[in-house]
Amino acid sequence: MMKREKGYTRKNFLKGIIAENPLFVSILGTCPALATTKTLEAAIGMGLLFTVVLICSNVLVSLLRKLISDEIRTPAYIVIIATFVTMVKMFANAFLPDLYSTLGVFISLIVVNCIVLGRAEAYASKHNVFDSLIDALGMGLGYMVALISMAFFRELLGTGAFTFGKIFTFIPETELRIIPKDYAISLFQQPAGAFIVFAVILAVIAFINNRKNELKAYKERQEKIRKAQEAKAQAEGGNK
Amino acid sequence: MANAKHYVLTSLTLGIIAASAAGIIGLTNFATKDRIAKNEKQKIRDGIVSIFGTGSEILNEFEISDKNYNYLVYGYQVKNDDSGLNRYAIKTLGSNSYGKISLLVGVFENSTHEYKFGRLSIIADEQTYASTLEDDYIDVINGNENYDNIDVHCGATYGATLVRNMIDMTVSYANTVLGSE
Repeated sequence: MMKREKGYTRKNFLKGIIAENPLFVSILGTCPALATTKTLEAAIGMGLLFTVVLICSNVLVSLLRKLISDEIRTPAYIVIIATFVTMVKMFANAFLPDLYSTLGVFISLIVVNCIVLGRAEAYASKHNVFDSLIDALGMGLGYMVALISMAFFRELLGTGAFTFGKIFTFIPETELRIIPKDYAISLFQQPAGAFIVFAVILAVIAFINNRKNELKAYKERQEKIRKAQEAKAQAEGGNK
Repeated sequence: MANAKHYVLTSLTLGIIAASAAGIIGLTNFATKDRIAKNEKQKIRDGIVSIFGTGSEILNEFEISDKNYNYLVYGYQVKNDDSGLNRYAIKTLGSNSYGKISLLVGVFENSTHEYKFGRLSIIADEQTYASTLEDDYIDVINGNENYDNIDVHCGATYGATLVRNMIDMTVSYANTVLGSE
């Protein structure tokens, strides 16, 4: 049995949040990300439902991976994912009706979200249950963080305030106004605004990654020069 | 022989997965259907209050199965206001290629005993352009008796056309069927 790399579980969890973030790095699941991020509450709700579906489907696919043959892989995964989405939809309709109304058709669309089928196919079908669970948790939380970051800017710039308690009615209804209403830019509540926010976030991430790569390349060059100088100094010292 | 066994096993596996999925969904439906029905009733009550104001009560409920009014599903007679004129809230359900929408359309009888559109409340909106439809059309026509004069071109034109047709059908039903009773 292969020895497990140290810190594998931590790496497996964190990769979904940063290095392989499904929305900002793999650019998957963009449709619900643009549609359900008008408010922070809706984004949190969508993220939670998505994470539950992803965890359940990853765990079950991993449990059944040795029973499901290659020929029926895709239809079997889709049946499993659709079952969990239907369950989540019914529970949301029963216990979180405001969230159900707000998200509308986008709860059902989790079935065809590339991230869920992708993780089932690429990871859960090849790894054990625990690793699949951690992978799903990381990817789900990563997607939720991405949705929240989009919703943060869209709601702040689009309405000037954050409202809570309209979807999660167990929280008292609160409005936290940051920008006066007259200065809110309603474009950010529209689909065009969603694309703008998405593009700006992707540009910032690309900028940070480019700077990191440049810094890494610079350090590697400096290290090469230093080693070459050391080798030269040693050679000169030896000749003397 | 080995191939046949493999195919039988494969089909059996998929069949068992599908059957288990159906069973689990059935159980979930059993566990949640009462709560969902209760939420739906509460939505109707909240919708009636938003249409006719606080204190509005349902006097009578009736199913609408007339094929000529295919959008209309259920009717609620609401307690009359001080003028003694009739008021109804009609539950409507429509769909198009962008999804389903269910509305509670309020109609009221005026002094000439003609039924007019009052306000509407959204019960469920699964349209793809739901937020555009709600912000740019429904919020504009809500409470506007002359909703017919408002353009449906709003970025969710098909949805807006569907909503207008549902309101038209409700007003027609109220004048033709309810008004003749």
